[in-house]
Amino acid sequence: MTTISLNIDGKTIKAEEGTTVLKAAQKAGINIPTLCHDDRLEPYGACRFCMVEVEKNSRKKLVASCCYPAENGLVVRTKTENIDKIRKLLAELLLSISPSGAHVDIAKQYGVVESRFKQTESPESPCSLCGLCVRYCAEVKNKHAVCFVGRGVDRTIALVPGLSDTCSSCRECFNVCDAGKIVYLVDMIQEISCPPLKSSFKSSD
Amino acid sequence: MTKFSQPNDLEQYRQTLQKQRDTKKTCISICSGTGCHAYASEKVVSAFEDQLKKQNLTNMVDMKRTGCHGFCEKGPIVVIHPHNYCYVKVKPEDVTEIITQTIQQGKPVNRLLYEDPELGKKIVLETDIPFYKNQTRLIFGNNRKIDPKSIDDYIALDGYKALVKTLTKMTPQQVLDEVKKANLRGRGGGGFPTGRKWETTKNASAEPKYVIVNCDEGDPGAYMDRSLMEGNPHSVLEGLIIGAYAIGAHEGFIYVRQEYPLAVENTEHAIKQAEEYGLIGKNILGSGFDFTIKVHRGAGAFVSGESSALMSAIEGRVGEPRPKYIHTAVSGLWNKPTCLNNVETWANVPFIINNGAQWFASMGTPNSTGTKIFSLVGNVNNTGLVEVPMGVTLREIIYDIGGGIPNGKRLKAVQTGGPSGGCIPEKYLDLPVDFDELYNIGSMMGSGGMIVMDEDTCMVDIARYFVNFLSQESCGKCLPCREGLRQMNRILNDITAGKAFEEDLELLEELSEVVQMSALCALGQSAPNPVLSTIKYFRDEYEAHLRGECPSKVCKALINYKIDPAKCKGCGLCTKNCPAEAISGEKKGVHHIDSERCIKCGNCLEVCKFDAVLKTTGKQIPISKR
Amino acid sequence: MAKEKTKSHFVGVRLTEEQKKALYTLQKTSDLSKTDILLRGLEILSEYYALGLDQPPLSIELKKLEEEAIQHLKALKKIKRREESVKQMIQELREVDEIIDEYGGEKNALIQILLKIQEKNHWLPKPALLWVSERLSIPMSQILHIATFYKSFSLEPRGEHLVRVCLGTACHVRNGPKILEAAEQYLGINSGETTSDMKFTLESVNCLGCCALGPVMMIDNEYHGKLTPSQVPNILSSYRVGELSMTEEQQKLAPIAQRPTPKQQR
Repeated sequence: MTTISLNIDGKTIKAEEGTTVLKAAQKAGINIPTLCHDDRLEPYGACRFCMVEVEKNSRKKLVASCCYPAENGLVVRTKTENIDKIRKLLAELLLSISPSGAHVDIAKQYGVVESRFKQTESPESPCSLCGLCVRYCAEVKNKHAVCFVGRGVDRTIALVPGLSDTCSSCRECFNVCDAGKIVYLVDMIQEISCPPLKSSFKSSD
Repeated sequence: MTKFSQPNDLEQYRQTLQKQRDTKKTCISICSGTGCHAYASEKVVSAFEDQLKKQNLTNMVDMKRTGCHGFCEKGPIVVIHPHNYCYVKVKPEDVTEIITQTIQQGKPVNRLLYEDPELGKKIVLETDIPFYKNQTRLIFGNNRKIDPKSIDDYIALDGYKALVKTLTKMTPQQVLDEVKKANLRGRGGGGFPTGRKWETTKNASAEPKYVIVNCDEGDPGAYMDRSLMEGNPHSVLEGLIIGAYAIGAHEGFIYVRQEYPLAVENTEHAIKQAEEYGLIGKNILGSGFDFTIKVHRGAGAFVSGESSALMSAIEGRVGEPRPKYIHTAVSGLWNKPTCLNNVETWANVPFIINNGAQWFASMGTPNSTGTKIFSLVGNVNNTGLVEVPMGVTLREIIYDIGGGIPNGKRLKAVQTGGPSGGCIPEKYLDLPVDFDELYNIGSMMGSGGMIVMDEDTCMVDIARYFVNFLSQESCGKCLPCREGLRQMNRILNDITAGKAFEEDLELLEELSEVVQMSALCALGQSAPNPVLSTIKYFRDEYEAHLRGECPSKVCKALINYKIDPAKCKGCGLCTKNCPAEAISGEKKGVHHIDSERCIKCGNCLEVCKFDAVLKTTGKQIPISKR
Repeated sequence: MAKEKTKSHFVGVRLTEEQKKALYTLQKTSDLSKTDILLRGLEILSEYYALGLDQPPLSIELKKLEEEAIQHLKALKKIKRREESVKQMIQELREVDEIIDEYGGEKNALIQILLKIQEKNHWLPKPALLWVSERLSIPMSQILHIATFYKSFSLEPRGEHLVRVCLGTACHVRNGPKILEAAEQYLGINSGETTSDMKFTLESVNCLGCCALGPVMMIDNEYHGKLTPSQVPNILSSYRVGELSMTEEQQKLAPIAQRPTPKQQR
């Protein structure tokens, strides 16, 4: 494993080749906010809170640090005007979905207390679609009992029919959930026999 | 049919074919692309088959179902060779006359000829029709001469000559250099230099390498790739094999969207035929080069046309894009180097090899060489597929070829680049069309969809339409695209409903900026383009909506239907056609629309023969529930 | 028969026409004489009363047995219907097997396999998906994500006629949305839904590639172009004409729950 050297916020950091910018920064004690990242899981790149500016050969671009491979000679800035704009607005978007979670602190840091956006989800089961429950169940537990359904603005999570009885005894995904949706889904199955998987999925028998 | 085991066999076969084919023999070519198919061209084909049989002419006359001719507004199209007479809007009932007049007597049937509205006269020869005359149909022209199910048709027109030249006279590096020199840029939307993409794939160290044809063509209003794939599949196959040879790939995929069943059928048929002739498979023409092709169907997702999403779909996974910090040319399908190009890009390759890079680069503009096929649709007279050299102006395309705007309406804007592109206002009609010019003006070339919009189009409604489209087609994985588009959709709905304020417009601009910067893939990053370009050029329309007015009288919440008492004759036709029972009036008396019951469907305006129904705007009238 | 010491008495019986007919029928079927039949009847009735079968506990028992017999018969009929649906399911799964084998059971071909299943059945039945998951060793979670991600797939049965209204940009500027509204109005459903009689499923599509015909509506494989909203009801109703009951072919396409039982079939 070769060691490479990159510059993050003015500090020269040494890291192993193949590591991500996020990992390199975390190791050096530089804080980059994340929402969908978990060290036990493969990088996902969906929340975009971890975006940083990287510069190579005088070309700058904004990338997700959890996925971007650290390179020798890379110059990284974790806070710029554009990055602030992004984090502030994304936190505000999430506030309209869920009143609790990591985004609340981020919003406060930028002075956002109330969201300008209208409420979108039902307040009892908010979901930021960070995917942590789905990925945890697949990658760590290898049970694949939670899945994504739908696409675009209709995308949501659901319990896979037939597997949900293992969920009530496991409940490990509760620990990774910030907004509360998976707790709601798993608890609900104690009351109804067929888990809610969008009215479009009907049993054929 | 034995395989051609060496290039000479193919050349000899070609010469035999060319000698056999009597160019003086009458040939009826009937356009059978999906568009004309929808016009029931098959019935015309059957009528010809029947009549030719009845008159014992089947052996004397050839009949061909060809690929799309491009002049879709006038279909079904029938061209009689060698006379070159072009008949438009042909019906089965017309067939007898065509046979008697043209086939037997060599005279044109005047009433079936195209009539030029400007000159006011009929045009006899296909090549004189302005729609065709003003084009440079390099890639698309052969569609009219080829039966897509016949590989012999393609070979007789010098098909696969470039492949022979490649395998016998050129090294992979030489092929690559030629394509680089030609400065061919991707025709799928990005406009990335094709030669550079090939080179990156070629130089990547991992093996095996793959090549892909992207026929997902998700942009609504664009159907060039479909017509090429359906109408002349071998031209794409030939380009693909040459590219694979240059790159060092031995397996290729053609990703065709599921909504194009005829393209899937004709492509699979073409691959089978090429395999039979030894042009695909092991040791092609004795060169030692192996190459196989598989067809993979899409399943109905616009986002799957994005290159990394497309590769995910081929791997059998969900078609979600991934961040391309490592290019797919280095790590694509199954993490191996993969070169993905659009259908039209691959179809350009045989021409570059046959005629040389210099010839190719002499067409178009210095940074956008060659030609481009556009689908000219919307509020335009001559809807169809148009091929022109890069650098031709919008005015020439829309007016000289497109025949201008129907019903005497004024042009308002041209939308290019699909949902990732922008709207170009009328004042830029003399803009030369090429990659960089379109980009600089706030739009982009995209795959070639060119949607003409007249004065009755509401630009805010268009922005809302695109954002709505993208919010459903987005994969939904990343936060800015999914939630950003959700909120942009809401704001635009509010604006078109007359419920928005100035702050909402500012919020819309702020959202657009952040989504552009932070979205995971090109769909999200370019999603705000339609909004930003319409705000840039048509801000006055947005502001009118904030005041409760829709200047183009499209947005339901801001318009009102009224009957002009001066013109109403009391015929009652509007009442009969009103689904909401909102119109009342005595026979022969002035009728009246109850605005509380009116659902703004527009039926009354459509059926009124006296132009007595008007749309007004300016006062916010709530839409009543159904 | 030896003459018994018991004294015999003559008893005359007055019968109605119906009773006479019944006696006559019994005579024919049993080959017994009229007298023997009546005497046998007397014997049986005496036994009945001697056994106490007329008394409540036993008669209640008899009634219970009768009801149980009816329940058993119902259960047997249900099992028989279940057996038929299981047989049907096995046949459908065999067809799924054939499709999977066509693609060599490769994981990469998942989407192609699902497309073929969708085309055959007009939807993706749950047993088929479970079987694909089993054979290709792909978790159900991924299959469900794919089935709900792509528009070609439907997790519930589609109507007999698929009505697709094009909302591509070119059709949009030629009034496409009004065509969709007219179709929604006439069918009484929203886009994406199926009518309750399972006749029509209405969807919007983003570009059918026939922009010259815009605005376009496609019903099954037929294109209807250059439409105005007022033409829509007539076109749709023409697909209803002449259809009074489900044909055999249509029944095959309906989900098992909705297939008519023998009683419902005309």
